[in-house]
Amino acid sequence: MGLDLSTKIGKIKLKNPVLVASGTFGHAKEFENFFDLKKLGGIVTKTITLKPRLGNPPQRIVETPSGMLNAIGLQNPGVEKFIQEKLPYLKKIGIPVIVSVMAYNVEEFVEVVKILDRESGIDGFEMNLSCPNVSYGAKAQASSVKMFAHDERMIEEVVGAVRKATSKTLVAKLGPDVSDISKMALAAERAGADVVALINTFMAMAIDIKTRKPVLANKTGGLSGPCIRPIAIRMVWEAYKKVKIPILGIGGIMTGNDAVEFLVAGASAVQVGTANFMNPSASIDILQGIQNFMNKEKIQDLNKIIGSVKN
Amino acid sequence: MKKLKPGLKPSMYKEICKVLSQEKVAPGHFVLTLESPKISKNAKPGQFVQILCADSTEPLLPRPFSFLDADSKKFSILYHMVGKGTEILSKLKKGDTLSVLGPCGNGFGLRIEDGGWRIGKRQYLMVGGGVGIPPLYHFSKQLIKNKISNKNIYIFLGARDKSLLLHEKEFKKLGVHLYLATDDGSCGHKGFVTQPLENFLSSILHPPSSIRIYTCGPTPMMKAVSKIAQKFEVPCEVSVEVPMACGFGACLGCAVTVRDEGSTGHRHAIACCEGPVFRGESIVWD
Ligand SMILES: Cc1cc2nc3c(=O)[nH]c(=O)nc-3n(C[C@H](O)[C@H](O)[C@H](O)COP(=O)(O)OP(=O)(O)OC[C@H]3O[C@@H](n4cnc5c(N)ncnc54)[C@H](O)[C@@H]3O)c2cc1C
Ligand SMILES: Cc1cc2nc3c(=O)[nH]c(=O)nc-3n(C[C@H](O)[C@H](O)[C@H](O)COP(=O)(O)O)c2cc1C
Repeated sequence: MGLDLSTKIGKIKLKNPVLVASGTFGHAKEFENFFDLKKLGGIVTKTITLKPRLGNPPQRIVETPSGMLNAIGLQNPGVEKFIQEKLPYLKKIGIPVIVSVMAYNVEEFVEVVKILDRESGIDGFEMNLSCPNVSYGAKAQASSVKMFAHDERMIEEVVGAVRKATSKTLVAKLGPDVSDISKMALAAERAGADVVALINTFMAMAIDIKTRKPVLANKTGGLSGPCIRPIAIRMVWEAYKKVKIPILGIGGIMTGNDAVEFLVAGASAVQVGTANFMNPSASIDILQGIQNFMNKEKIQDLNKIIGSVKN
Repeated sequence: MKKLKPGLKPSMYKEICKVLSQEKVAPGHFVLTLESPKISKNAKPGQFVQILCADSTEPLLPRPFSFLDADSKKFSILYHMVGKGTEILSKLKKGDTLSVLGPCGNGFGLRIEDGGWRIGKRQYLMVGGGVGIPPLYHFSKQLIKNKISNKNIYIFLGARDKSLLLHEKEFKKLGVHLYLATDDGSCGHKGFVTQPLENFLSSILHPPSSIRIYTCGPTPMMKAVSKIAQKFEVPCEVSVEVPMACGFGACLGCAVTVRDEGSTGHRHAIACCEGPVFRGESIVWD
């Protein structure tokens, strides 16, 4: 039975709905010996910044119940080296490439995207709005605002500015540590984002009870993995009711059925993150799982699943 | 020096491995032997495997273990039961299966440019403690297989007490020189293993350039060994143990701070692919 797995996010037509999440797939080469990368719906790169970043000191990760905390600190070679050393390989794979970008202020965000926008082989940008310790924009609501993703006015300002710098597909990746995710998604939509990606990791912490010290050198870290999935599902479901632009569902996807749950909640496609660490070919196993579900349920067209949740 | 960049080498495989045997070798310590046509054939001393201990999300991430031994069809690990994952492993029986990724990491013998470990007349000093001992056994066996005399291999093992001097008998069988130390004095020198090492280096007549030190074990031990090596001007390789997630350079979780010529003077090396073996002098210990 010929299944139609294609889906669309912004201007990007995906042959299937499985992408890999930023920071969990390196720059793809790390996975080339495990499976044919061409089988993926698309790739989101590790977040790139204007200048190279050393990242946080160790310890950077710790496992938690059905999840993990990470505080990698955006270790990356910087935009110039990315273009020289990583992009040529990514281009050659022949599937949509979305470059994840992050900056500490609006001007820098625009600058990174402008530099990348001149390059061929990039299909879109994913704005990582969960950068800690941003220098506050003029429109920041309160001093408690720590990330772009925490404040709808800041989201609007930075997405709006970057929108002017590129005509490629623009994904706004939101953080979950907010009281109303749909408000943040609406702000991104208003500012011209083509897609919202929900969600990034949850700010979390683990303490060693013997030493009384935080386990991570950075003290706090981002929680990911299957433990966050029900919250991510709820957020996709909430946002789907409000925004018109497509949603990329992310959070603890381990199996095809997990991915289908996101699609049903309203995601047009999904990203696989932490599962890549347990099983390097998790992403295509998940794709196979989606196909198995469709075959079993006699569903021909993926679009019949998207947003099919009954309220 | 041939430095491994993050990223996969063609010789890394994911295999479903059958348990061939499991044996308790010391209190809380087990040797697990797994059948694996691909991983074992490519295993180098100092490299490791990533074992998925459960088919569920608890524990979630794979666990890293060094090779204790490997041939063309099977390999074994020696592990200490310390938590969830290793407890599950300890219950495995012959015929059970596990998902394994490997071989991961670079392995011992970094100094390819000066002949690596293949030079015949060299003295190989290996200092191990706890579950840092298994890769040194694999390395010793491999050296002997490569026609290096067991008389040129000097093993220094440290443990809390006699029962935890892991694999002591097997080292004896290899005919290598063995120096032991226990905290309680129940076997060998009473105190740290670094003392016999220092005594040895002070007494021998070999020029430092003909000696190599390899160490794996608790961080304070490796730090002390690395300092001693620097004092005697002997090249030293250390195999670090840091928390890891993926094991193949994708997550950047297993950072180790190393010296760097750049403006900051240091950088974060990714232990699962640039290591776990590093030159002792390159590591920023604190
Ligand atoms: C390259 C490498 C090679 C290794 N080789 C061996 C080996 O040959 N034999 C062996 O027994 N162990 C080895 N280890 C350590 C082994 O991976 C851990 O003991 C194991 O992951 C513990 O899993 P667990 O689920 O049983 O314990 P968990 O439930 O995860 O943890 C139990 C306790 O152990 C601590 N712990 C967990 N992982 C580590 C770690 N990597 N380093 C220090 N403390 C840790 C935790 O903080 C906790 O206190 C190696 C580690 C690395 C990085
Ligand atoms: C080790 C690690 C590194 C990550 N790095 C990034 C990053 O650089 N940029 C980003 O937008 N998200 C990053 N993330 C978040 C993931 O892309 C994803 O949003 C999150 O982990 C939730 O999905 P999961 O539960 O499937 O992992 C990272 C996650 C992990 C676990």
